[in-house]
Amino acid sequence: MRIIDVHTHPVLFKQGRKPAEVRRLIAHGRRLGIVHMIALGDVLLYGAQPNEAQLRLMNDENARLAREHPDYFTAFVYLNPLLGERAVMTEAERCAARPGFRGIKLEIANNAAHPCMRHIAKAARTFNLVVLQHSWSTTNIKDRKHQSDPVDTALFARRHPDVKIIMAHLTGVGFRGVLEAKDLPNLWVDTSGGYPEEGLIEYAVEHLGPDRVLYGSDLPIRENSVTIGRILGANLPAATKQKLLYGNTARLLNLKLA
Amino acid sequence: MLIDTNVNLGPWPFAPLPELAAPQLAARLGTAGIRRALVSPLAAVFLPDPMPANAKLFAAIRRTPALLPVPVLNPALANWREQLDRCRAAAPIRAVKLFPNYHNYRLTARRLDDFMAAIARAGLRLIVNVRLEDERHRYFALKIKGVPVKDIARFLRRFPGQHVFLAGLYRPELKQLAADHKNFSADIAFCEWAETVKDLLTVMPARRLMLGTNTPLLSTRAQADKLRLAQLPARTKALIGTENARRFFNF
Repeated sequence: MRIIDVHTHPVLFKQGRKPAEVRRLIAHGRRLGIVHMIALGDVLLYGAQPNEAQLRLMNDENARLAREHPDYFTAFVYLNPLLGERAVMTEAERCAARPGFRGIKLEIANNAAHPCMRHIAKAARTFNLVVLQHSWSTTNIKDRKHQSDPVDTALFARRHPDVKIIMAHLTGVGFRGVLEAKDLPNLWVDTSGGYPEEGLIEYAVEHLGPDRVLYGSDLPIRENSVTIGRILGANLPAATKQKLLYGNTARLLNLKLA
Repeated sequence: MLIDTNVNLGPWPFAPLPELAAPQLAARLGTAGIRRALVSPLAAVFLPDPMPANAKLFAAIRRTPALLPVPVLNPALANWREQLDRCRAAAPIRAVKLFPNYHNYRLTARRLDDFMAAIARAGLRLIVNVRLEDERHRYFALKIKGVPVKDIARFLRRFPGQHVFLAGLYRPELKQLAADHKNFSADIAFCEWAETVKDLLTVMPARRLMLGTNTPLLSTRAQADKLRLAQLPARTKALIGTENARRFFNF
């Protein structure tokens, strides 16, 4: 099966940025059937609250990947909503003007229910970008100020129904997260994050349908063979698996891959 | 052919998992290339005495030769010797398993001295289950954490002559223990990073790693693929996937 991985960090804490490392990653991905990766950036390099200069550095690194390997990497621009409208729009515009950027990546600068998220929605609309929001159930990990519970990501989607949003980390948001996303047609869920808990993929497809679940790994924090095997081993029709692994992301991001 | 060192049978109340009978479990494992598995009873985790769950396990897998029983013992109970004797009488067993975090005792407990001596005399291997699930996703009212690494380290130091099998270590935990201790082997069920096994081999020799899937709580196919698709010499994969378990558990 052809596979697009919608959730990767090819460079993390500066590891993986050398040309040989990038070539090795591409070879590794291709060996497993991954024909394209969405690079979300080295998002933890400067902590939870990167400033404008730090964001530019990280986004330039991501842009380099997409520029040097346009057939293999699509980039998302990493933003800090708390920096305000001017900073958000400036950096989004700077990156959207470059080839290979299709989305916005949000990490743990703030909770997705924070009012500052309206700047992100404006940038997404203005530059036609999909938003990928880090999400995790705060039932056990707490820190709701920075972590976005699926309730919060769903609220963001509900407030901005014209913005396409990916709730990251199916395993992290769990069964409850699937149900939060269920009635929101502008909200997709990626399968990254956590160990391959049995039954969750099938549950997501049962409730969200076969078109709103996207394969993602969270590489290098997770292993592609595991995250792919979780879908291939799920009790689903082959056509549905192909949608999860490839078709849904290609359509959402309008990727025209050879 | 793969051997899975970390499989459970029975109900789990916190996820809508399929209820598999023993032949179905063996068939599921078989689709991932696993031909033999060490199986423990999940129900033993929550029962005040693990023996009814062990008895059910022995009966359930008696006619499924691919599944080898690993009963769960609770050395915090007064009757642990009776538990051990009854399990040995019920079926040929190669190992017993402990769940210290679910059974409310610590690996540092003094009472484990006698227990470990009895296990050694019986010629059995000991499996310590460190965790069954990612603590971040457990049921909200369940406050059970993984077995503390510092307790495991003290345990390994206290019984240097016994080689223990640790199931369910996180990758950083395994690396931490591997730096100071050689008297343990471990499964890879809760270790994950890009190229997991290659990464683990930087701190732990292949002869001390074994395939464990934590079926049915985690996806069997995904967990088996962690090893099956690893870019490693065939010999290394054979050790981790089959031969270490065969040797260690004396198949």
